[in-house]
Amino acid sequence: MESKEQAGNLFVCHECDALQTIKGIEPGNVAACVCCGSTLFKNPVDGVEKPLALIVASMIFFIVANLYPIITLNIAGIERAATLTESALIFLKLGRPELAVTVWFCCVFLPGFIISGLLYVLLSIRYELGLPYTKPVLAWIIRLSPWEMVDVYYLGILVVLVKLVAMADVLLDTGFYAYSILIFVYAAAASLIEPHFLWECLSRQDSKPQ
Amino acid sequence: MNHKIVRAIDRGLAGCHICGQVVELHDKTYALCPRCNSKVHYRKHGSIARAWALLISAFIMYIPANTEPMMHTSSLGRESSDTIMSGVLYFLSHGDWPIALVIFSASVLIPILKMIALAYILIMVQRGATTRKIENTRLYFIAEVMGKWSMVDVFVVALLAALIQLGALTNIQPGPAGMAFAAMVILTMFAARALDPKLIWSQAENYDGYKE
Repeated sequence: MESKEQAGNLFVCHECDALQTIKGIEPGNVAACVCCGSTLFKNPVDGVEKPLALIVASMIFFIVANLYPIITLNIAGIERAATLTESALIFLKLGRPELAVTVWFCCVFLPGFIISGLLYVLLSIRYELGLPYTKPVLAWIIRLSPWEMVDVYYLGILVVLVKLVAMADVLLDTGFYAYSILIFVYAAAASLIEPHFLWECLSRQDSKPQ
Repeated sequence: MNHKIVRAIDRGLAGCHICGQVVELHDKTYALCPRCNSKVHYRKHGSIARAWALLISAFIMYIPANTEPMMHTSSLGRESSDTIMSGVLYFLSHGDWPIALVIFSASVLIPILKMIALAYILIMVQRGATTRKIENTRLYFIAEVMGKWSMVDVFVVALLAALIQLGALTNIQPGPAGMAFAAMVILTMFAARALDPKLIWSQAENYDGYKE
């Protein structure tokens, strides 16, 4: 039917299945579906440089946010501190393992997997390392990303703060500040990372002679 | 404009859900994507039936999620239980109406609006509606993105329960609503993923996964 070159410019809209050919999208511009107007893909301005830098930063803040307590509470001289993982595992202790798994999966495991997976894929593309399994890693990141909830958890922290400030001495801990920065850095990285572009890079890497 | 649009399915092509690669299917029901190795279908299989099943289950879970207590607080021998709504009213009575608004919309409003939106799209698809396709696609997109924010109350209870374990002084225990709530959010997210937005654009009876 179509030759290989033409097939490269052929797109199918995820939302409405409209078949269309697209060529020459300027860097920084968005290709929208001719039929329903959904975004087909974006053409990133500066390749993988900026996303890589932001993902490295996300990784650092993610680790700090997980290692240090988020909030320390002081009620009548008794201090309690909670880290991210502790807040998930408390459900295990209180006899609700299903909630423990849900919270831990959405707020600790999955963000960790996505950030380290993206780091792996972006490093492989940026330095032309040709690392193994980059495609399945990227495929799983895309499959699982709807379940990642760091931003929702952050909203939860803010609600807890408002609730507790009235009744106890609340100390914002290292984890909280790291988490706050993580939210911004990670959102910036997510907005710059364009799956379509990464797939193109990975395909190109493959077709290169070893 | 609309008369020029060609659907990929009519050319025997389908777009990979994961990487966007255009894959030739012709009369096969599915193929493996040559780029990312995931299964590529014309339409999600049994989309409408699965979406309804998940949506109805989610709605059943929505009821205990809102009527059962979210957490039990015991403070110096005094016990109290909080549902989502009593939490909202607590913040309102303390003048924290922005927080009350956040919890009310995330926990009560967004889930029910999402379920109504998905049910509406499903009914439109089953009736083979030919109008408002762009609006319905956008509605689907919004419903899909908003869903996860309903989880916020489960995380609030997680953090509160982790912090407030002070023996005889004060204790917070998660209530039965927590599980119902998480199940409701997860089920609506699966329902949204089961529903194939492409069915809005092409008649359901021809293209639902079960028929070939």
